[in-house]
Parts: sequence; structure tokens; C-alpha cells
Amino acid sequence: MAEFGTLCLLLGLATAGWAVVASFNGWLGRSGSLVLSGERAVIATWGLVALAVGSLEYLIFTDRFDIEYVASYSNRALPSTYKVSALWAGQAGSILFWLFVLCSYAAIVVAMNRRRNRPLMPVVVTTLSVIAVFFLLLVNFMARPFVSLSQVPIDGLGMNPQLQNPFMAIHPPALYTGYVGLTIPFAFAIAALSTGQLSDTWFRTTRRFTILSWFVLATGILLGGWWAYVELGWGGYWAWDPVENASLIPWLTATAFLHSVMIEERKKMLRVWNMSLIIMTFLLSILGTFITRSGVISSVHSFTRSDIGPMFAGFLGVSVIISVGLLIYRLPLLQSEHRLDSFVSRESSFLFNNLLLVGAAFAVLWGTIFPIISEAVRGVKITVGPPFFNEIMVPITFGLLTLSAICPIIAWRRATPHKLLDKIRIPLGTGILAAAVLFAAGMRDVYALVAFSLCIFVVATTVMEFFWGTRARMKATGEPALGALWSLVDRNKRRYGGFIVHVGVMLIIVGITGSSAFKQEATAVLARGESFALGRFALRFEDVVSHDNPNLEFLGARLAVLDGGRRVATLEPGQNFYKAGQDPSSEIAIRSTLREDLYLIMSGFDPQAGKVTLKGYLNPLVAWIWIGGGVLILGSWFAMLPDLRDRRREAEARLRAAESYATS
Amino acid sequence: MQPPSNRRAIVAFAAFAALAALVPTIPAHAAGTGTQQEVEGRLMCYCGCANLTIRDCSCGTAAGIKADIAARLAKGQSSDQVVAAYVSRHGEQIRSAPERSGFNLIAWIMPFAAILAGALMIVALTRRWQARGVAALPGPDTLAGGATASPADRETLDRIAREMRDTL
Repeated sequence: MAEFGTLCLLLGLATAGWAVVASFNGWLGRSGSLVLSGERAVIATWGLVALAVGSLEYLIFTDRFDIEYVASYSNRALPSTYKVSALWAGQAGSILFWLFVLCSYAAIVVAMNRRRNRPLMPVVVTTLSVIAVFFLLLVNFMARPFVSLSQVPIDGLGMNPQLQNPFMAIHPPALYTGYVGLTIPFAFAIAALSTGQLSDTWFRTTRRFTILSWFVLATGILLGGWWAYVELGWGGYWAWDPVENASLIPWLTATAFLHSVMIEERKKMLRVWNMSLIIMTFLLSILGTFITRSGVISSVHSFTRSDIGPMFAGFLGVSVIISVGLLIYRLPLLQSEHRLDSFVSRESSFLFNNLLLVGAAFAVLWGTIFPIISEAVRGVKITVGPPFFNEIMVPITFGLLTLSAICPIIAWRRATPHKLLDKIRIPLGTGILAAAVLFAAGMRDVYALVAFSLCIFVVATTVMEFFWGTRARMKATGEPALGALWSLVDRNKRRYGGFIVHVGVMLIIVGITGSSAFKQEATAVLARGESFALGRFALRFEDVVSHDNPNLEFLGARLAVLDGGRRVATLEPGQNFYKAGQDPSSEIAIRSTLREDLYLIMSGFDPQAGKVTLKGYLNPLVAWIWIGGGVLILGSWFAMLPDLRDRRREAEARLRAAESYATS
Repeated sequence: MQPPSNRRAIVAFAAFAALAALVPTIPAHAAGTGTQQEVEGRLMCYCGCANLTIRDCSCGTAAGIKADIAARLAKGQSSDQVVAAYVSRHGEQIRSAPERSGFNLIAWIMPFAAILAGALMIVALTRRWQARGVAALPGPDTLAGGATASPADRETLDRIAREMRDTL
């Protein structure tokens, strides 16, 4: 089976190589048959890579420990769910999986565009296939998943216990689906630049791919945070780790892109900027993979020791040269008449939104790579840790919140101060009122006060947008309120889907603010029957608990959670001892309510004295982060559904095509 | 010539920018911050489990360091002295964030400098675009008459009408 997998990857390299050659030459020589052959090669590559993935899974499931990858990341006792996710537990496998996701997207794009976007497709296929060839080179020659061992171990080393978690099983696929999906608008952008067909087709066609990738990436990031929260046992969900930052950076630029294409759609402005943004997003996602896979961050020197670091750096360099070169070459065609009717307009507020989103991406990137710069310039290793990012990102986030509260109110083209004031009155008043109420209730944390009131300002704006729109429709059509609301959102799902996403993001920010500004913690060493206080709760250690399964043995403490003397819950934090011999891992116990999470870790157990060492956190509002994530996903789905405008636009496009055909 | 509303907007933006720049100078939140926690937050845990400060990390190494910090503070050392002691033993890497002096100041300044540069560029560009927009804006009478409106204007008007229809 290993030979079969190796063969599939080699053949895949050949078919992907052929896809590049055939599509590119087919495009240059206007040969339809070559282009078609290139597209078929894309499907063939997808099939071969899928077979390679299948082979590796088969080897993992049949416990073939003669294969290095299987022996390193799986063992006999590993539950079958995690045998599936063992595919992306190590470097070679995760690169293979990345490749598989890319090839799947490429195959979908080919299938969807058999008749559409024909002039762009050869270059789209070339671009996607060049990227596929790069990853195929990696899995064939650098990070090979099918290497066999000369000495076959009796059992594998097993998966890192911390990765044995449902969230961790789906976090990488979500992240990759998001990351890699952003390659599709990039490929269409490159095709538009190469062919000179620079109308808005490239981003209209890929709009759904962009939104899908955007929210799947967001979901991946949130799942990663959730995993860190329930698994790592420090009471938090985000540590500004380089690996986390690498996923956030392209997400921020993709967010900027989603907003600024709206200006291009309406005003035909910012065409160079939008091209730059999507190119930047793609390059940053490759940079992110490079950062996480090459070990460059931990030290400049580990970079040269890693096999794939220089390959990634080379690929990144070539990508920068080609895409920036193409962009400069097409600058004359991308010139557009930039006109602004007023400084106070939606257009200019979007420019600032883009500035802050790209500025945030830059700040995170800058902090992430600054240790490398310091080491290279001064020869001194330094750390740029969470305090740096928290301090830098808070003002940027406040700026973004302010914009998302005001942006939707400011009219396109020109907003008269009078009308703006009229519209902003209620949302702004609500925000200020919220600040006053929170202050009166005893909240003295400046950051939290500003954050909460800005979030409420944004939500109030959003609610008012729904309200004004519904009221206008009710007046115009005489529909009942609910009917008017539905036909309002049905006619412009993108706009209202976007508003729902805004609300989701606000909930996430409320959760982050609450849990970082008002976190409480306590540590205690307890004997049976003793208790300790955490916020308004008393926690009483009742008994030691243990259970056993083929994979691990659990040892924990049972605690009664008392709120004002009344028992409200029982929690059992503990530790897992793995039979495959890995280090024990903490099993955290959480009581989650909308108001707060009670988070318990058992960090030690002394069997002689019968005492447990416990650490507890009280994290207010943390559940709202995950709820906000759900709202964000809902809003994104809604925005992707076809609406009346899409249908009308498509009909218009068909009509135009028919007209131009008739006149030519 | 700038219309007055425009100048007001620029002033408003400048005020907003100044306010945003002031925010980082507000002292870090007071909730439960004592010298002990402050020192813990300024030092990074080197246990290798995650990218956490001593304050956040719950490993054994962090527990030892917390006790040591408490002992040093009890002896009357200032928080700067405690941090300096750790830096001399473990190198600059133990600081959780770069110092705000010398070369490392670049780390702090750069993000805001970049955003400020971008903001200035946007203001400059929008002023140029706006000058163009005002020059090209036809008077309302011409548009109402429709006769002298250029095809581009008519297209814009059509689009406005269409969008108004859509939102209503």
C-alpha cells in the first residue's frame, strides 16, 4: 500500500505538471484541446492525491508501523476518530492533506466552469496547478509520508494526547479549507491580470469561495481557541502564539478584501488595491504555512535545519515576483477614475476600515517576525509575547468597532452631516447609555467600558438598519412587519448577512473583553472535605475518582460547586495517564453558563496525604465567544445564498452576452 | 476650495485619531493588578508548554517562579529589580514584551507609524479624488433635464434608482 501511495504521488506530480504545461500552452496558443487536456489533468491529479490520502489512512487503520509516519503518529489503542485525524497530526501528512484540499478546490473550480469564464480558466488552472506542483514536490521529495522504517516497532508512538480532542480533530481541516480556499480568488486574480480581462468577473465569480473560505478560516481559528481553552489548561483561549498569528493574519486581509470589493463593484474604484489585497492574502497564507512548518520563529537557525523551510521561502519569493510583476505590468489597464463626492461617505469610511484591518494584519505580522529581526540585527533573542499584542491590538480594535458602528449609517457618495447626525443619534445614545449604566453598576475598567459600549453602539446601529429598512418597506408596500423584514433581507442577503456577521463579531469581542478584564483565579491544596473560594462560588473537594480504558487511565478529584451554600454542579478535573507512555495531560472540568465559566484544573495529587492541588479560574462571558462564532457562521451562510440582486445581475449578464453576440 | 462640511470631517477625523492614539497611554486595567501580578505578566514562562507569561502559565516551573517573585518582592525589591534579575539570568528572551527603548522601540512604534502613514495617504488621496468628484458633479438642473447628463451619469442615476428600489 505504501508503494501504491508513493506511486500515486509521483503520478500526481506528472499530471499536475502536465496541467501546468497544457493549460499554459493552450492559453498562449489558443488551443482548446490543450486547455481541455489541462483541465482533465486537474481532475486526474485530484484522483491520484485522493488515492494517496486513502492509502495513508489505510496504513494508519491497519497499524502498519513499518511506515515511519504511522509509527510516529498512531498506535494500536488510538480510537478510530483520531486515526482519521492522524493524517494531519504530523508534517508530511499535513502537507499531503493541504495538497488534497487544494486539489479538491481545483477540481470543483474546473467542474463549475466548464462553460463559464472560459477566457480566464486556462490561467486559473495553470496557477492552481503550479501551487499543486509545489506541494507535490514537497510530499514526493522533502516531507514524504510513505517512508518505511528498517526496524519495525511493535507499536506506534501514538498521537500527542493533547491532539486527542474532537476540536483538534476538526480544527486543521477547517483551517486548511479556509487557507487554501483563498487560493481560488487569487488564481482568478492572476488569470485576470494575465489575460487583461480586468472587469469585475474575477471577484464576482469567486465571491462565494471567498466568503466560504473566510468564515471557514474564522471557524478554524475559533475551534483552535476552543481547543486551547479546553485542553491546554491555562484558562485562556488565545496566546498570540506564532502559529495562531499565522492563521489570523490572512484572515484580517481577507476581511479587508471582502469589504473593499464592494467599492469596486459600485464605483469601479480601488481596482489595484483589491488585486493587491487578494495577492497579499494568498502570500500571507503561504507565509503562515511557512512560519508554522519551518520552525523559523523559534530561531533563525532552526530554519536552515528544517528540510522544507528553504523550499517555502523560495516558493514565496517566486510567487511575490510573479504576482507583483503582473500587477505592475497591468497597472495602466487597472487605472480607474477615482472620484469621491464627499469625504463623509461610505466610500471613505471603507478606506479607513481597510486601513485598520490591514494595519492590524501588519501589526500581528510585525510582532510575530520581530524576534527574527532582532536576532538578525542585534544578535539578541527576544520575545514578543501576549502583552505586546494585547496592547497594540486594543486601540486598533476600538477603531474598527467605531467604524463598524458608523460605516453602515454613512450614505454612499455623500452623507450630509444633518442626516448622519439624525441617524447616528439612537445608536450612539444607546452606546453612551450602556457606558453610563455599566459605570453606575461599578465597572471601572476603562478598556472594558469602552469595548462594551462600542459593541453596543455597533449592535444598535445594526438593529436600527433592520428597523429602518423594514419600516420603509412597510410604508412602501403595506406588508406586515415580519413579511416586510423578510422581503427586505431576502432582496439583499449579502448586506443583511453581513450585518448578522457584525453582530457575531461583537459577541466575540464582548466575550473576549469580559473574560480578559474580569478573570478571577485561585489556587488551593485541599484534603477531602475542605473547600476554597473562587468568586461567589465555594468549591468542596469530595473524593478521588478514577477510571480506565484501553488508551488511558484517568485520575481526578470530585468537587461540589456551591453557590451561596446551594450545590449547583459537580466537577471532576483530573489527569489522563496514557498507556502508550506519553506525558500525562490535564483534563479540565468546566461549568459553562452564559454568565461565566467556572474552569478547574487538577495540577497535582499526593496519594500519601490524600491532597489535591487545584487551580480555578472564573472567566466571565466566555461562552459568548463561541456563540458569536455560531452567529458569524449563520450570517456568512445567509450572505452566500443567492438573492434577488444576484439573479437580476446574472440575467443582465446573459442579456449583455446575447447582445454582444448578436452585434458581432 | 474645500466645502465646509469637508473641513469639519477632517477635524473630526483628526480628533478621533488623537483619541485613538491616547488610548494606549491609559494605564493597563486595574482589576486585581498588584506588583506581584505585574511582574508575573512581564516575564515569560520557559517551560515550553505554550506561549504564556508566568502569570498565565499553570505549570510547575511557573509556580516556582511565582514563589520566587513573591519572596523577592517581600525582601523589598522593586518590580523593575525583580525583572532585571531574571533578565540577567535568562537573557532578554524572558521579557514577555520588548522594552520600550533603543532598538526594540521600533517594535512598538512601527504598527502605529504604518497606520498613521496609511491614514495620511488616505486623506491626501480622498482630497484629490474629491476635487475631481466635485468638478465632475453636474448641477441638479442638468440632471433633472436629463438631456445634458453624460451616459456615465445616466448609468449612475439608473443604478441609484435600481438600488433604491432594492432596498425599499
